[in-house]
Amino acid sequence: MSSIKPLALLAIVGVLGLQGCASERSEVALDQASSAFQSVKDDSNVLRSAPRDVIRAGESLAKAERLATYWGTGSDVRHYAYLSQRYSEIAREHSNLVLTQERQAKLELERQRLQLALREAKLSSVQQQGKWLEEQIISLATTDTDRGLVMTLGDVLFDTGEADLKSSASRTVLKLVQFLQLNPKRVVRIEGYTDSTGNPDDNLKLSRDRAQSVADMLVDLGIDEKRTKVIGYGDQYPVEANASERGRAQNRRVEIVFSDEKGRLGAER
Amino acid sequence: MRIQPLFVALAALALAGCASDPAPLEQMRLSEQAVEQAKAVGATDDVAELKLAEDKLERARSNMLGESFRDARMRAEQSELDARLAEAKVLTLKSQEQLTLLQSRVDRLRKQLGEQQ
Repeated sequence: MSSIKPLALLAIVGVLGLQGCASERSEVALDQASSAFQSVKDDSNVLRSAPRDVIRAGESLAKAERLATYWGTGSDVRHYAYLSQRYSEIAREHSNLVLTQERQAKLELERQRLQLALREAKLSSVQQQGKWLEEQIISLATTDTDRGLVMTLGDVLFDTGEADLKSSASRTVLKLVQFLQLNPKRVVRIEGYTDSTGNPDDNLKLSRDRAQSVADMLVDLGIDEKRTKVIGYGDQYPVEANASERGRAQNRRVEIVFSDEKGRLGAER
Repeated sequence: MRIQPLFVALAALALAGCASDPAPLEQMRLSEQAVEQAKAVGATDDVAELKLAEDKLERARSNMLGESFRDARMRAEQSELDARLAEAKVLTLKSQEQLTLLQSRVDRLRKQLGEQQ
């Protein structure tokens, strides 16, 4: 030891000093990389979603730490510390992505559940609306003990000798369509009637045509043809005496006979 | 097929340049790929990490030309990880945006259901 010259000693101290200065930056980089690695290594979510990046972060950090024990390797130490830190950050980011995706999947299930619930809630409100409509239809109709529920499309809907439905009928027919759409099992028998003007054969045909024009309109508005049955009774079964114009107008009519909720119609007259 | 002689020449140059540090051709390819991939998922220069990756890749390319293969390799390695981090950040961001959208839809549904009942 005593053989070491003071100058040489000074040189060594000088080198050590420079080294110390350089390694201070390396030290900071190592510390940062090391704490980044610690935080991902101890996070089970990160380990689960990005194990390979965590391993590489560890390997790069070990390399940087090993290099730090040698002289003159400052730039390599910082390089591997940088790589290690990046691997840790990438692993953390992958883990964030996986967590977000998992939350998305859960939320998607929740969304589907809520959509279903909302659809059901809306449906029940439509059913309530259906009940309201049913009350309306019933108020327009009368209950005939023999035939069930009967609705009369009255005199104003047809002109004498004409089978075409006047436009004033649209409203009632629309209500009828809505009612049938909300009660898909119900079917209707559409019965046509005339006054006693003209000969019976013509009246029979006319009454059939009137009933058919109502049925056609229902079909046009989306009701399945199978749910409508058409029949003409001519001038039979008048509701009023045919002596007055008022009575005759009331006899020119179409009656809608509704089935029960299971689709069973009452017998024909 | 005319590329092959070029590679041979490059390899020869690399060997001639520095015996201990060969030209990091594979690393350069990986880094370029990583930068392209980050851009493909929608990373722009607004993402700081992508800017870093591109700058480092550029410098690595000029290091290659100058046959400073050690510098080229280190910059390319850093560039690759910068780009991969940029890509991961963009993907997470997009996923979070989707999550927010989904959350608002769920909130809206809950509100509608509340009104319904």
